[in-house]
Amino acid sequence: MTDPMPPAAPSALAAEPVGPAASPPDRPSLPPGRWIRENLFPNARNSILTVFAILVALFTYRGLLNFMFSEERSWIAVRTNLRLMFTQAYPEHQYVRVWVTVGIVMVLAGLSAGIWARWGGVTLKRLMGWLMSGGGLIAVGVLIREPSVLTDAAGETVRDDAGELVRESFAAAMADRWVWWAVALVLFALGLALWLRFDDLARRTSEIPVAWLVFGLPGLLVASTWVIRYGHYAFADGEFIAEPGQLVAMSTRVPWTVMWLLLIGCYGLGRVARERAIASAQAAADASDDVEVAEEGAGGEGAPELPRGALAKTRAVVNLAWVLSPFFLYWVVMRDPEIDYAHVFSTMLPMGLAFGVAGSAVLWWLTRSDAGEVGRLAAIGLLLLAAFHWVAAFFGWYSMLQVARIAFLLLAVAGLLAPNFAGVAAQRRRLVGAWLFVVLLVFYGATVINAPSTIETPTDMFIGGFSVTLLVSVLTIMLSFPIGVLLALARTSRQPIFRVLSTVYIEVIRGVPLITLLLFFSGVLPLFLPDGMEIAELAAAILGYTLFSAAYLAENVRGGLQSIRRGQYEAADAVGLTTTQRTGFIVLPQSLRVSIPPLVGQVIATFKETSLLAIIGLFDFLRMANSVVPNQSQFLGVRREGLLFISVVYWVVAFAMSKYSQRLEQRVGLGQR
Amino acid sequence: MSDPRAPDRDASLSTLGTRPPFYRDATVVRWIAQVGTLILVLAAMWFLATEAGDSLRARGANIDFDFISDHIGIKVGWGIDTNPDTGGRALWVGMVNTIRMAAAGIALASVVGVLVGLARLSSNWPLRRLAGVYVEALRNIPLLVQILVYAAVLASLPNVSFGMGPIPGWVHLSNKGLSIPRVFIADGFYQWAVVMLIGGVIARVVFKRLAARREQTGMQTNAGAWATGIVAVFAIAGWWVHPIFGWLGGIFDGLSDAVGSIPQGAVQLVAALAAAAVAVWWIRRFLAQHRTPAGLVRLTDDDWFRMIFAVAGAAIVVLFVAVLWPGLSSWIVNSSSDGLGVLADKFGNGRTGAPIDAMRPDIVQPGNFPNYGPAGLNLPIGFAAVYFGVVFYTAAFIAEIVRGGILAVPKGQSEAAQAVGLRRSTALRRVILPQALRVILPPVGNQYLNLTKNTSLAIAVGYSDLVQIGQTVYNQTGKTLQVMAVWMLFYLACSLTISAAVNFFNIRLRIVER
Repeated sequence: MTDPMPPAAPSALAAEPVGPAASPPDRPSLPPGRWIRENLFPNARNSILTVFAILVALFTYRGLLNFMFSEERSWIAVRTNLRLMFTQAYPEHQYVRVWVTVGIVMVLAGLSAGIWARWGGVTLKRLMGWLMSGGGLIAVGVLIREPSVLTDAAGETVRDDAGELVRESFAAAMADRWVWWAVALVLFALGLALWLRFDDLARRTSEIPVAWLVFGLPGLLVASTWVIRYGHYAFADGEFIAEPGQLVAMSTRVPWTVMWLLLIGCYGLGRVARERAIASAQAAADASDDVEVAEEGAGGEGAPELPRGALAKTRAVVNLAWVLSPFFLYWVVMRDPEIDYAHVFSTMLPMGLAFGVAGSAVLWWLTRSDAGEVGRLAAIGLLLLAAFHWVAAFFGWYSMLQVARIAFLLLAVAGLLAPNFAGVAAQRRRLVGAWLFVVLLVFYGATVINAPSTIETPTDMFIGGFSVTLLVSVLTIMLSFPIGVLLALARTSRQPIFRVLSTVYIEVIRGVPLITLLLFFSGVLPLFLPDGMEIAELAAAILGYTLFSAAYLAENVRGGLQSIRRGQYEAADAVGLTTTQRTGFIVLPQSLRVSIPPLVGQVIATFKETSLLAIIGLFDFLRMANSVVPNQSQFLGVRREGLLFISVVYWVVAFAMSKYSQRLEQRVGLGQR
Repeated sequence: MSDPRAPDRDASLSTLGTRPPFYRDATVVRWIAQVGTLILVLAAMWFLATEAGDSLRARGANIDFDFISDHIGIKVGWGIDTNPDTGGRALWVGMVNTIRMAAAGIALASVVGVLVGLARLSSNWPLRRLAGVYVEALRNIPLLVQILVYAAVLASLPNVSFGMGPIPGWVHLSNKGLSIPRVFIADGFYQWAVVMLIGGVIARVVFKRLAARREQTGMQTNAGAWATGIVAVFAIAGWWVHPIFGWLGGIFDGLSDAVGSIPQGAVQLVAALAAAAVAVWWIRRFLAQHRTPAGLVRLTDDDWFRMIFAVAGAAIVVLFVAVLWPGLSSWIVNSSSDGLGVLADKFGNGRTGAPIDAMRPDIVQPGNFPNYGPAGLNLPIGFAAVYFGVVFYTAAFIAEIVRGGILAVPKGQSEAAQAVGLRRSTALRRVILPQALRVILPPVGNQYLNLTKNTSLAIAVGYSDLVQIGQTVYNQTGKTLQVMAVWMLFYLACSLTISAAVNFFNIRLRIVER
């Protein structure tokens, strides 16, 4: 049947690597007639396969189109419930919080895109191909879709004597779909025009930046909401509003326009920062002529070379913002905490100040160059004291605020790190500065986390839909990553007890289905908690996801760890690094780089797995489409439309991530050395 | 162990006579850290366990497994027994359903996956693109969403009616699910199986002989064809002559009586001792294999784990036998008689019918609406939705693995095969696939594991798998923890079985090196 030999004559199934990289862009293109002959109908068997594949594709496509455009579909259910599906029911006057959240993400995304600026390009040839095949697909779709059902003056469908629906004639259907014909023609003509305009190979393979497409297409979409009358559908105070032929509501149009402008503006800002850094570094290089110019990886889209470290600080700040923003957005912006200022001024502020000042003093003393053994012993003492507070609190011997216990523990950890910063004044200042920042973060976080939310919603969850899906994915990834790395280190360690504990944990978790773990955490966990301790449903779910994901991440990281050569360890030992330094500076950076593809795979898997939240009763994206919308009185039983819609959204996000990971792989040069 | 350093530095330090204080001695610190962690983990577990015990006691629930043999009244939508007597029986129905789904899913997913993977490497442009679209579309949409889409589409099919299609009288598809002809084990099957067994043994002997002769003389002996022919002859002849083995029923009857007269405690004791003895025997054999004349060779982590698993397995068996014995027999066979009694019945003299029989699906109308009759194999929507979901989803991943595996075979191999004049199909069968299989098998085994675990999503569409039935059971009895323990054991057992099978084939496929 199948045949993987490299073909002397083209065979049906050849083992020739025909991946994405198989057709080099500079291969001269054949005239269409010859291309069809050589690729589609070179011999009898291939012709049969071609016909078979095309028939399968056409029938699938036709089925999908017939489903989508059937008069029984009620896409209005999706249109009306877009807000519900993405954010659940925020009160109208609080909806600005959602936009602030999106805005912050847009700002960060724009800045990152500008500063990292490694987008690469799309060749004109591919763009032309996309345009023409897009036009062709639409045209084919218009042709093969079944004609619409006739309706009478009252809008009721017409049936013949046998009770079958009466459909309009083929010619009438084609004439009715003139808009689609126009779109197909415009796309095709655009592609053709480009093709004719850029007729030599060099210009066809010239690239236009991907950024233009990524920013331009949403821009077009946003702009179109100001012109095209998409119609206005919404629930206003439970009242169903349907106004076809209207512009989209102002409350949707304006924010999205602002979002798009923010994205573009911040992208521009990032680009400017990048250009400046490059210019100043080059000026310095011209002046001294000895600045090392480092090329970043093998990506190479002809972007100017960025000197090593030129944007390091900016990048660090943006990275930190990315890491902190989910927590900030979730606890502060989305939730509008009702802060008890009396408590803040009477307790949190003084305690925070005390920890800041006293902790700084302790750290300053511990980083003296002559602190020596005494300093280490003091740090260990601090650690024991901090641990004892937790034990004491657990058994109720004496009470101490949780935030104080956390701060104590962090101080002890900082104390243990102190020898690494000892001696040099600048280093000591850096440790103390970091400590102050951490204290600020901890006390601020504790204040907002413990404050109740003021958002009033039908359920006790103040976010739902896609935002829950995203929140759980992001928090799960962020929390499970360090646990996974620790587990991987423990599993590859030479210490038998660590190894056994970690192995048993990983294998047991990987052996059971996620849903049983989630049922455990959402249903049984409360049994295990001491009296008076409660855990929110969402937190329990995130805990379950995190513990599950950590086991899989650990295996991915372990794969990377095992790829590190023995010589690396020996070299690290030879220059006198401690075990921690060796792991942190030599082993982990290299192994994580190797594990990037499986790690991104795990990120995608986690994103997809968040759909299981619907089973344990949380209102995630899937639950909205599968049970909330079909239960609305206006849209009873309208389920398939919503499911198709969320499939597309899930697909777009997951597909984008997998494409990005492929680019990342190429950029770090995996598989090329 | 990614820490392959030369011997400890501490050793050389101590020889210098400058042994550091204990709190800076790496060995001591490491052990303190390890033991400290262990104590912490154990303490946390102990604490959580006591908390759970307290809260359960406060609710008046005890941690026991009585529900396995206690009568409960639940209805199962689909399975070998829709009105299970006991909790254990209900869970067993769920396990069978899960295994059915997983086995059927693995079979079809492998076929679809390999076909799509090969299609992705085809030189035929439309086929290649079609396969690419399939893979990219399916693996980026959550499986649960796909299952729900299938369920929603199936639920919108028309109602059952007489003379419905797609193939009236053979295949019926409606919002009640799929109804197809049912092939089932009939009266004579077990006796026929004995005939087949004898045929298989003879075929094996013949095959070995012929294969050996071919090795010696180099002549074509057609060993495979002969063996297949012998099995076929026995199968066909056995169809009519199998009743001659009816006397086996009497033997099992007698054995059953004999075992039945032994007191139950003794049986439990013997079974427990047997399990323990097997474990001891296995470990002794294992150690003997690793013993060289000089003593014991170094055991790797895996070796230790194997031994620990053997002990743990034996302990679990002993525990089951000692604690759950009364429940177990009713659990599996749903009757008070033991396994031997069942066998006696299956082989009974009266059974002379055909070994395998089939029935076409029918449509009946007991009340107001027509419905599927009991004759055909009726697969409910839930089954079909989960089945299509896991099969097509997993197939997309398997396709990528197959593609990668074939690409991983060096091009020189196929060129060399061509050079020695092998036909393309022969080269694929004898040169490319065997080498690709070596790369493909471990990740595909992982996918089989994922498929098995993913069948638990059946809970979303109401297919009665282990998780769904388990949830019903604990909602009714309140024995949440116990049911979850059963889940965990079952899925771990599945994982171990599949990875053992994959390991077995992997070792068989390994390149034999000098």
